Amino acid sequence: MLNTVKEGWTTFKSIFTGMGVTMRHLFGPSVTLQYPDEKMELPKGARAKLYVNIDDCIGCNLCARACPVNCIDIETVAATSDVDLGKTSTGNPKRFWLTRFNIDMAKCMYCDLCVYPCPTDCIYMVPEYEYSEFDRSGLVYHFSNLKPEMVAEVKEKAEKEAAEKKRQKEEMMRKKAEEKKRKELEKQKLEANKSIKEDDSSSKPENNDS
Amino acid sequence: MVEILDNIDQREMVINMGPQHPSTHGVLRLELVLDGEIIKKVTPNIGYLHRCFEKYAEQMDDYSKVIPYTDRMDYVSAINQEHGYVLAMERLLEIDVPERVEYIRVIMAELQRIASHLLGIGAFGLDLGAFTPFLYCFTEREKILDIFERTTGARLLYNYMAVGGLMKDVHPEFKTDTADFLKTFRPKIKELNDLLSYNDIFIKRTANIGVLPKQVAINYGASGPVLRGSGVQWDLRKNDPYSIYEKFDFEIPVGMGEMGTLGDCWDRYIVRVREMEQSLRIIEQALDGLPEEGDVTEAVPKRIRPKNGSIYTRSESPRGELGYYIESNNSASPYRVKARAPSFVHLGMLPAISKGSLIADLVAIVGSIDIVLGEVDR
Repeated sequence: MLNTVKEGWTTFKSIFTGMGVTMRHLFGPSVTLQYPDEKMELPKGARAKLYVNIDDCIGCNLCARACPVNCIDIETVAATSDVDLGKTSTGNPKRFWLTRFNIDMAKCMYCDLCVYPCPTDCIYMVPEYEYSEFDRSGLVYHFSNLKPEMVAEVKEKAEKEAAEKKRQKEEMMRKKAEEKKRKELEKQKLEANKSIKEDDSSSKPENNDS
Repeated sequence: MVEILDNIDQREMVINMGPQHPSTHGVLRLELVLDGEIIKKVTPNIGYLHRCFEKYAEQMDDYSKVIPYTDRMDYVSAINQEHGYVLAMERLLEIDVPERVEYIRVIMAELQRIASHLLGIGAFGLDLGAFTPFLYCFTEREKILDIFERTTGARLLYNYMAVGGLMKDVHPEFKTDTADFLKTFRPKIKELNDLLSYNDIFIKRTANIGVLPKQVAINYGASGPVLRGSGVQWDLRKNDPYSIYEKFDFEIPVGMGEMGTLGDCWDRYIVRVREMEQSLRIIEQALDGLPEEGDVTEAVPKRIRPKNGSIYTRSESPRGELGYYIESNNSASPYRVKARAPSFVHLGMLPAISKGSLIADLVAIVGSIDIVLGEVDR
């Protein structure tokens, strides 16, 4: 009987201690925000979305190689000798047309590993988080600012130059091969002459003997 | 009366608890063999969250690309997972880490331990019907996550540690932020004790439930709060110090069977609460000793290519002994990575400690061993 009363008392007491805590919280300041109306300010370095400052990109592909999930897709075309793409704001010379620079934010794991290797600091995370889409393809962000016709032109030009270079190289190779052949022929001729001479000289003592 | 008893169906009943069940803490399926409401047998079925961590690690062409994946093992205590991995890599590569890095790592790991225990405690209370402590725990956890967010940029999966250092330095107000948190958090532990730990209903639900005797815990290879709840003084931070833990003065709280039997759910719970206090002590000392100046990335190697060899390193995660076995074949990617996850081991003892209890008590037992399914399945 006494035990039951004692137990009842401890239960009663512990419930009221707990109630006291909740009561204190009831009159304390609120910790929640009414989200769409009120928004929390994200800190400066918050990792929420990848952004590429394409003007500073030199197309080195280091970010794509650092990505553990391969969400960065870069295609570059070498600039032809008649165009100068200028320099980035950090002073690195640009040597490639960036015909494609896509980041699939649906695949991205927000690990920040692509940010560190960038030599021009042009890829970084921005604290922007409201970018949900109805279609998954909407999460693929295209950063290349070249128009499709420009891409085609650039590619054609690069191909032409590459073909020209290849032709030149082949010509060089052909010339070299010809040169080699000629030299070989000369060598053979020389050798043939030598052997004739040698024959002559070797036949001489015979004549002497006889 | 006799007639009714004769007609009772005495066959066993098999029911599935989970995979979608709020108190299994993730996608865990427990196959229960029941006699009425009493559990005769429990079979945990795992694998619903298997993401091939170990195989992924072998596929990566860089050792540092594995770190974001270790985050995703135990997503509640990501910093501790990273810490274990980078410790193993540093021992494999024989790198000396700057002192400032070690201090920041310890502060981060202990903050994460508090955050993880807050979630574990809150969810445990929630399983037993105590909704309010859950919200209060989350409010406090939020403050820790804010500190993490300002430093690392992420709230849950940080990818903050690098082999040989850190990804970046802490934010400028890190010291004052953390000191402020310590100041406001101390009274909250007392509040939590008032609200939950010494609440009579909570004690009735947890004391003498799911008793794990000392010997059984050791035999099953338990570690962390589960082992300490059974009265074994075993903490890798003290018994096998890694990083700079030997510099700090703290105690290992153990279960004492205050409310019932030694090694019951309440003991495991209170060990976590007391561990948070010890973590606060460690953070305080680390903040005092944190060197002001120093480059946190100076010891980070440009290219990681360890020699042939293997290493096993263990560290104390909030859930227990976290071990990483890494085998290298002198290439850019690991030949083999094996993670020894404490949650997996603890889940293995569930059949042993829940036999003969009620279904409602099984909820308490699962909550008290504080498993994270991401770590169980990997």
